Amino acid sequence: MVTDIIETRGLTRSYGEICALKPLDLLVPEGEWLSVMGHSGSGKSTLLNLLGGLDRPSGGSLQLGGEDLMALSEDGLARFRREFVGIIFQQHHLVPYLTALENVMMAQYFHSVPDEAEACSVLERVGLGQRLKNRPGELSGGEQQRVCIARAIINSPKLLLGDEPTGNLDHQNTGMVMELLKELRSEQRFTIILVTHNREVAAWGDRIISLDDGVLVREERTRR
Amino acid sequence: MMSALKLIPLLLAWCGIVAALARYFPGRRTLLLISCASSFAGGVAGGNLLLTNFNGEIAYSVVKALAGSCFLFLWVVALAVFYRVTGSGGQGTSVGHEKPYVFTATGLALLAGLLAGAICVCRLAPQGVAPLFVLGVAGALLAAGAFNVERFVPVDITMTGEALLVLIVSLLLFASSFALQLDLFSPLSMKVMKFIHDFVHQFFESMLVPDHLFFRRDVWEYIGYLFGSGVGFWGGLLIWLAPVILIGTAIRLERLPSVSHIRQGAQRRKLLASFIGERRCRLVAPCIALLILGAAVYNSLFPRVEYWDPKPVVVTMNASEAILIPKKGEINLEDGKLHKYLLKQGGREARFMILSTPDGRLTVTLDACAICKPEGYGQAEGAVICYYCKTLIPLETVGKPGGCNPVPVPFKVGADGVALDAMTILNRWSETVTTTSRIKGGGK
Amino acid sequence: MHRWRWLMHIVLKSLAYRQGRSLLLLGVLAMAASLVTSLGIVSSAMGLRVAEEVRKYGANLVVLPAAARIEVGSGGLDFGTITEPAYLPQDALLRVVGNEGVTEYSLHLRGHLKAGALEMPAEGVDFAVIRRLYPWWQLQGGWPGADEAVIGIDLAARLKLKAGDRIRAAGTAGAREFRVAGVVSTGGEEDKLLFIPLARMQEALGVGSSVSQARLLAQTGGVTLEQRAARLQGLLPGSVVREVRQVARTSEGLLKKVQLLMALVTAVVLIAAASSVASTMSMTVLERGKEIGLLKAMGATRLGVLLLFCGEAVVLGLTGGGVGYLLGSGIARFVMKTVFMVSAGIDLRFAGLSCAVSLCLALLGSAGPMMSVFRLDPVRSLRGE
Repeated sequence: MVTDIIETRGLTRSYGEICALKPLDLLVPEGEWLSVMGHSGSGKSTLLNLLGGLDRPSGGSLQLGGEDLMALSEDGLARFRREFVGIIFQQHHLVPYLTALENVMMAQYFHSVPDEAEACSVLERVGLGQRLKNRPGELSGGEQQRVCIARAIINSPKLLLGDEPTGNLDHQNTGMVMELLKELRSEQRFTIILVTHNREVAAWGDRIISLDDGVLVREERTRR
Repeated sequence: MMSALKLIPLLLAWCGIVAALARYFPGRRTLLLISCASSFAGGVAGGNLLLTNFNGEIAYSVVKALAGSCFLFLWVVALAVFYRVTGSGGQGTSVGHEKPYVFTATGLALLAGLLAGAICVCRLAPQGVAPLFVLGVAGALLAAGAFNVERFVPVDITMTGEALLVLIVSLLLFASSFALQLDLFSPLSMKVMKFIHDFVHQFFESMLVPDHLFFRRDVWEYIGYLFGSGVGFWGGLLIWLAPVILIGTAIRLERLPSVSHIRQGAQRRKLLASFIGERRCRLVAPCIALLILGAAVYNSLFPRVEYWDPKPVVVTMNASEAILIPKKGEINLEDGKLHKYLLKQGGREARFMILSTPDGRLTVTLDACAICKPEGYGQAEGAVICYYCKTLIPLETVGKPGGCNPVPVPFKVGADGVALDAMTILNRWSETVTTTSRIKGGGK
Repeated sequence: MHRWRWLMHIVLKSLAYRQGRSLLLLGVLAMAASLVTSLGIVSSAMGLRVAEEVRKYGANLVVLPAAARIEVGSGGLDFGTITEPAYLPQDALLRVVGNEGVTEYSLHLRGHLKAGALEMPAEGVDFAVIRRLYPWWQLQGGWPGADEAVIGIDLAARLKLKAGDRIRAAGTAGAREFRVAGVVSTGGEEDKLLFIPLARMQEALGVGSSVSQARLLAQTGGVTLEQRAARLQGLLPGSVVREVRQVARTSEGLLKKVQLLMALVTAVVLIAAASSVASTMSMTVLERGKEIGLLKAMGATRLGVLLLFCGEAVVLGLTGGGVGYLLGSGIARFVMKTVFMVSAGIDLRFAGLSCAVSLCLALLGSAGPMMSVFRLDPVRSLRGE
């Protein structure tokens, strides 16, 4: 029996008049790779922010790994983010004045204590063993995204969220990043939720849901 | 009413002691509470017994010696702890070993309570039975209150045995710093100053270095620093705070439990962070103790005792260089209070004071002694105090020369007043002041 | 790595990344701190000097030539030097004081003499009177006879002279050799002077029987000191008679005013500095919104982010304070040397003051921006809004 890591009931998020996410019921079993599709403005990024504890829902209930996110305080949410979730953004957001290694160590610092050796080994794992001391400006797009992945998995999260992680990458780099995610998932067994508008990328997942205008319109299982 | 106010900080310190005990010995609270309350009451009674049956000085010095030996014990413990942590490769942490609970808990509570009670009584000075009874009951009630307050202190704040000891001793010293006769810091700093002064003196003599000649003025200024009051203060402060700092450092240097057996990086780091956090929480108690000891030093430097210290009356000499001060009139010289005068002549001035002692003798002395900087005297109960070295000089001995007694001045008592020679006073003042305020800095 | 060390590392890297801005902030803070330090040192030194001067006077009246008033107003603070030496006729002075209830007086003639190439301030006095009127003179050696001199302790150190040595002093009108009978120290102005008999000084300067200052001890029987001064003033045309207390009072008043002015200037500069720190800091926070959002998304608590920014402010503040102290004490030294002709000692208390001022400025100035860091919403700032 696989437990559900995510459980939402009637989850909504509205910004004033605009309803970005209509009531949504969603169950995600532990270890699943879920792709969320939809074009821009369909509410998929909103959903991701809610699941990552970056934003608070306007209504409904949201249970993540047995914790009720609605009940958490601001600092409780921060603790939840650093211990439970890893987030990969579309524009590979890195701190510009820190090296690749230091960017990863920053996540360790906020989680507990910085550990250089561990950060090095994770960067080596994502294939950046030679680029430890380079600043983000000196790295290519694909390399930057791999630093982001390393940073997202350094604290062993249960849930990895990706917001168009391949949006700025060419075909070859996209393949590399997706392959890497697949490998890491088989090693560490975290749940992945990827938001994308690219059908090909979405096909890497076990299940694809499509959002349109804040409403779940389609749900399908891939062959994997 | 006033005396009740005087006791508030002392009783707060007592509450602190009880709360610390309650935190360190979590179980068997009733037993601990009973021993705390009864020992405080016992301390009050015992202190009063001492004060009434013996001469004041003896009673005070007994309590003072007890507090002092607590401080010495703290030093021993601090050195032992520091040696254990640094000397043997940081092996032992104090967390593991069993404590013989009932014995240590009640024993510590009894000792602390007795001393705290005695200090409170000393601060209050001998009293009738009723106020003492009230004090004893108040101490017991406050102990119960502190037990309840302790529940609200965050559970993360834990202590090691050393930290408990540090906290108790520092609170006791803090309490005793409120009573002038029990103050330990100023005698300590005076001792340090005297030691350094004598040492440098001996050094110069044994090395056959002639004292004042052959040295340039600036060299003497540097040597002079060793004789200044600063040396006594800073040296005393070092000795005063060192045990707490040693224990704090020992806690800080304690080796953390190994986390290398945990394979997953995030969990390992988290455990490590929690160990660091726990260690930091253990440091809270020594830090508080440091603040408390600092407050005790402040109390000792600026004692909140209400001295009688009138503004000096300016007097001038008449044509025959004499000063006449009437016995009666605006100021009654024989009222047993201190009267201060300021003599101004040309560019020179001198302060002197007139006091009639309890046995009815009039005395005229300078407002300075032969060994300290001329910061003057104030009158406390039964004594005058030298503001510089905080020595209490019983009223009976005012008018006699020597030590930190105010320097006596020759005078004649007439039927209507006291006659003084102005030039004698001026000269004696400048002699005294130049010898004490130049290189020696005071306090032989 | 230790958490605190890591924090420090990050803070320094971030400051180094925005070099220009950090240097600007550092400059503002250092300037404000140096101003506070230098004004503090100068004004405390001035206070000490005035107190010293006031304490020094044994006489209660001073007679000065009318032309030298500028020097009087500052009460021996050496604000200005006498540009045109002015003198009092000695015989007229003696005639007047003889029958005006003046019990004691001392005559002084101040001028510059040369010993070799070195110019030094010198004063002609009557040693017998000095010995009687100024009992606080501490003399190493003996009191001088004819053709002997007393030298101030600082000047003696400069010339490497001691009692028993000989010194050749030349004035505009003649030179003469003196035996140094004693070295005087009073802790005041006298320490820097050479004292020779009055008649010798008059010869050396070629001023006949004139003096530049007379200090009188007037009896006040029956009349107030003020009335006595007014009477003497009437009898001595071309001179100014002042009460010593008045001299003290004017110099103290002047000092108060100067200190008030300094305090005002300091306040204005501090406010300006604080507002410029505030504006720079809020710019920085605006620019770094995305970074802050990112840190929050990574799981930083609000306090954690705040700690990073506070760390930057503290580092800037302390560095600015340190630099400001060095700069400020340098300025104070220069001012004291050129304006007051004394060398200022090093006072470490002002290092603390300087650091405290700079730290307060940095923290106060960044308080507002910090609040916005606290409130910032990670989602919106990450989107770049």
